[in-house]
Amino acid sequence: MKVEAIEYGDRKVYSVGAFNRGVSSWLQRLPTVWVEGEVTELRRSDRWASVFFTLKDPQDGSCLGVSMARGQFDALRLELVDGDRVHAYGRPELFEARGEFRLRALSLERFGLGDHLAALERLKTKLAAEGLFAAERKRPLPLLPARIGLVTGNDAAAKRDVLTAVTTRFPPANVLVAETYVQGPRAAGAVVEALGALCREGVDVIVVARGGGSFEDLLPFSDERLVRAIADCPVPVVSAVGHEQDTPLCDLAADVRASTPSVAGRLVVPDLVQLLERLDRSRAGLERGTRRSLERERRRLDGMHERLGRAPRLLLERRRAKLEQSAGRLRALSPKGTLERGYAIVRAGEQIVRSGGTVQPGELVDVELAEGGFGARVEETR
Amino acid sequence: MTFEEAQRELEQIVQRLESGEAPLDEALKLWDRGEELYRFCKERLDTAEGKIEELASRAEATKP
Repeated sequence: MKVEAIEYGDRKVYSVGAFNRGVSSWLQRLPTVWVEGEVTELRRSDRWASVFFTLKDPQDGSCLGVSMARGQFDALRLELVDGDRVHAYGRPELFEARGEFRLRALSLERFGLGDHLAALERLKTKLAAEGLFAAERKRPLPLLPARIGLVTGNDAAAKRDVLTAVTTRFPPANVLVAETYVQGPRAAGAVVEALGALCREGVDVIVVARGGGSFEDLLPFSDERLVRAIADCPVPVVSAVGHEQDTPLCDLAADVRASTPSVAGRLVVPDLVQLLERLDRSRAGLERGTRRSLERERRRLDGMHERLGRAPRLLLERRRAKLEQSAGRLRALSPKGTLERGYAIVRAGEQIVRSGGTVQPGELVDVELAEGGFGARVEETR
Repeated sequence: MTFEEAQRELEQIVQRLESGEAPLDEALKLWDRGEELYRFCKERLDTAEGKIEELASRAEATKP
């Protein structure tokens, strides 16, 4: 189709209508394709020739307006509600009167169970390849959480089970409950939001609990956003979703998987009675250990004291022994022993007479014996 | 300090004391520290209020 432009000198200018017609005719050359998304804002009226809805990408929230002939739409009897996943077959078109781009659907199919399973398997493979489920990522749960976050449905038995298990085991537990949708198209987004809100409020650990349900009921817990949010959660997450045989992907991304909500409740708190017993044992050990150290120290001190008491006597004895020894030596050297053997000391005045030449006949000398002595006169000298 | 850290340290102190290897000065210091840790742990258990609160989420507000 030829699009007429108006010339203003060098400038070519299109009217809005011409522009839209031009783009529209260009778009019509694009092929017919299948597009997958979630139905939202479905608008249908018996007075309208077409039905309108928006297809939303559950991954990134991208939106695409869709129109479909009402007769065709009604004939499919899909009974779609917001959030239903569909495949739409159509081609892009421009609604010229408003310059709005949209998909003109020729056919529409509900996204079936088989598709869900295949998509789930693909997602699981992809996330596993990213390492989201790796054992190294798993964090230990805190022994004594100051506050526990609980994400659960509003009337859920799961909620009651978790709370009962928690408060039975640890009565003083603090729990912050975030009630939210746990099934249906809004569930995944709502749970992600609840996780974020709990983290902002400040919790040490989060339990995501939901009872059993159909495959479709549990699908939100395999939603990529939700699985990623659990893996990225700043605090450890315990997942108790569905029954043992169901393995929603959130179970794989969580730090701990609990088979039931009750088990999850018991996992996140310590047993108060045991904890107190353990603490009291520690305290008793503290006293026992300190007393033992004190007693040992006292025994050592007593030993020292005793040795200290013995010290002066030892010193005295040692002195006495030394004295005796000196006395012995003194006795050995004194002339007394010699005198006792029969020798005598002869003194002339103060001088000991050692030679005959030092005295004169007639001189008086003093003779000292072992016992007593006597005075004598020199008769002759030799 | 978390409850776990306090409890772990307390139990290590008890072990050291019971081994009888700590000299008196150290033993008394350990005992002081142990008592402090015990009181910390006990207080954490005693002051927990045991409350269940509801977080009024935005999802709640947009419920039909």
